[in-house]
Amino acid sequence: MSDTPFVVVEGLHFSRGDKEIFRGVDLTIQRGRITAIMGPSGTGKTTLLKLIGGQLVPDAGRVLIDGEDVHRQSRRALFTMRRRMGMLFQSGALFSDLSVFENVAFPLRVHTDLPEAMIRDLVLMKLEAVGLRGARDLMPSELSGGMARRVALARAMALDPELILYDEPFVGQDPISMGVLVQLIKRLNEALGLTSIVVSHDIKETLTIADYVYVIADGEVMAHGTPQSLDLDQDPRVSQFVHGEPDGPVPFHYPAVDFTTDILNAGGGR
Amino acid sequence: MISRITHLGRRGCELLEALGRAGIFMAQSAVGVPSREGWHLWLRQMHFVGVLSLAIVLVSGLFIGMVLALQGYTILVDFGAEQALGQMVALSLLRELAPVVAALLFAGRAGSALTAEIGLMKATEQLTSMEMIGVDPLRRVVAPRLWAGFVALPLLTIGFSVVGVYGGYLVGVEWLGVFEGSYWGNMQASVDFIGDIGNGMLKSLVFAVVVTWIAVFQGYDLVPTSEGISRATTRTVVYSSLAVLGLDFVLTAMMFGGLS
Amino acid sequence: MKRSKMMELGVGLFMLAGILGLVFLGLRVSGLTFQAPGDTFRLEANFANIGGLKPRARVTMAGVTVGRVSAIELDTDWYDARVILELDGDLEGKLSRDTTAAILTAGLLGEQYIGLTVGGDPETLAGGDTIRDTQSAVVLEELIQQFLSNMISD
Repeated sequence: MSDTPFVVVEGLHFSRGDKEIFRGVDLTIQRGRITAIMGPSGTGKTTLLKLIGGQLVPDAGRVLIDGEDVHRQSRRALFTMRRRMGMLFQSGALFSDLSVFENVAFPLRVHTDLPEAMIRDLVLMKLEAVGLRGARDLMPSELSGGMARRVALARAMALDPELILYDEPFVGQDPISMGVLVQLIKRLNEALGLTSIVVSHDIKETLTIADYVYVIADGEVMAHGTPQSLDLDQDPRVSQFVHGEPDGPVPFHYPAVDFTTDILNAGGGR
Repeated sequence: MISRITHLGRRGCELLEALGRAGIFMAQSAVGVPSREGWHLWLRQMHFVGVLSLAIVLVSGLFIGMVLALQGYTILVDFGAEQALGQMVALSLLRELAPVVAALLFAGRAGSALTAEIGLMKATEQLTSMEMIGVDPLRRVVAPRLWAGFVALPLLTIGFSVVGVYGGYLVGVEWLGVFEGSYWGNMQASVDFIGDIGNGMLKSLVFAVVVTWIAVFQGYDLVPTSEGISRATTRTVVYSSLAVLGLDFVLTAMMFGGLS
Repeated sequence: MKRSKMMELGVGLFMLAGILGLVFLGLRVSGLTFQAPGDTFRLEANFANIGGLKPRARVTMAGVTVGRVSAIELDTDWYDARVILELDGDLEGKLSRDTTAAILTAGLLGEQYIGLTVGGDPETLAGGDTIRDTQSAVVLEELIQQFLSNMISD
């Protein structure tokens, strides 16, 4: 593995309406590693993936993938660039009108002129890798949430991308399928030499597979390092998040005026 | 007072912006070279918006033709002019009722379904994931639906007219006893192929473009939540019904208004 | 695969039905005919008053439709109406020169049409000829006026 970073995010600013989501985020994602981006819900982690994928345009800053600025590409070049990326969506986002087989075959049919027999072989290979070769004729509505996500993973890998973006892969999974997914991500990354970005707030699972972790809060990178170093981090905010304590510097309460004043005011205001 | 005017201005700007977005959306979707794949997608949508809407359109057409004949007869018979029944049924169907009623039914049956389907695809991130795979969802999802709508509604309107004329025949000739020869003869003497059937078809084509456009755009532009989908479906039916009725007046004035 | 074949068949039938429907509307409802232009011939007839006669009105003979009115214009030589009739080609050279054309009304308020009656002249009308003997439309107001003036003079 070379040491040149595959994805570089520099001084990223993004706001939606009046709300500032990112205020200067810098990330460096090494080739062939699993990098986790974590943070409390609502910190715009999915937005970050969309910025990396070029679906949203930042207000300032840039995103380089393999040295090329994503947001400076023409529409055509961007679509070509996306062939080198796979993205696993939170809901799986399988095409509901196509069978499992056709879903995985979709990127191949769109981007290649391979003969039908070869497409079949490739699709079965990808489905075998996620353990769902037997489910090829099912429709997405017949799959469980975990299976749908595995099919989506097979689809994301169909074109042998160099980069895979995982959007909350563990949310809403039972412990077994969660374990299966953790194993899959880890194994695929090692076997295929992929670069992976995992966005998640499931700390335990993410820390077991990640090589490097960024913690984002309040629109900025709050901490970064290897899972071990974060575990030992002295910053109370980081340790609250990593150890999952309910109250601390990140408050349990939504900002409000003092409780007693609030109650008395409401009573007297009428 | 000032704030009212400001509010009005803001609504105006929002309206213009939405229209602009819809226009760009339409232009990006409707153009493009159809591929073999695209042909298949179009076929599937034709089945969905066309074939599956056929039953409701034909049944409505039959009843409307029958009612027209019944009402027309009671009025015409007072003037001893019941032999003009065929003319009345055919002209009101071809010029007005078939294009308008078929378009309204189409908006309710196919338009709302199109909105909901595309909205659901948006809500489940299917459109985004398609984009990430490197496929333009406008081409892949929207374009076949647009073109299917453009073709299906005029065909449905033809079906509506045929069945309506036959329904008028059933009631007028078979039941009320209007002479069969004068039913068809009067109809043929007064209906002009270009002026009546052609203009009716033209109307139907305009309605097809407007209704499908509204339906598909509402689906693509909605807020991807269950509430957003239900609102957008309602908006599709309301906007397209209003657009059809309003445009019908404008088109009628342009086509038949100048004639003596 | 089978399902998609069924679907294609359905769409095919749907489109075929649409086209057949349009043909039905054309032939049965608007009475469109696909006769070659050579199958008809034209006659002219001048009327003092055509009443409510319209282009495309029927031309009949003994109640049988034999043609249509193709155009109506004002003849500025005589200031009367020149009506151009389009008649079946079979009749060319068979109508006598003293054929009369009358504007008749179907029922009290029905449409107006032209009725032709053949005379006894051995000479016949050819394409482009003019029918001399014509009978104008009955205009209700004129009838009433006549009736009233007759009453008064009585």
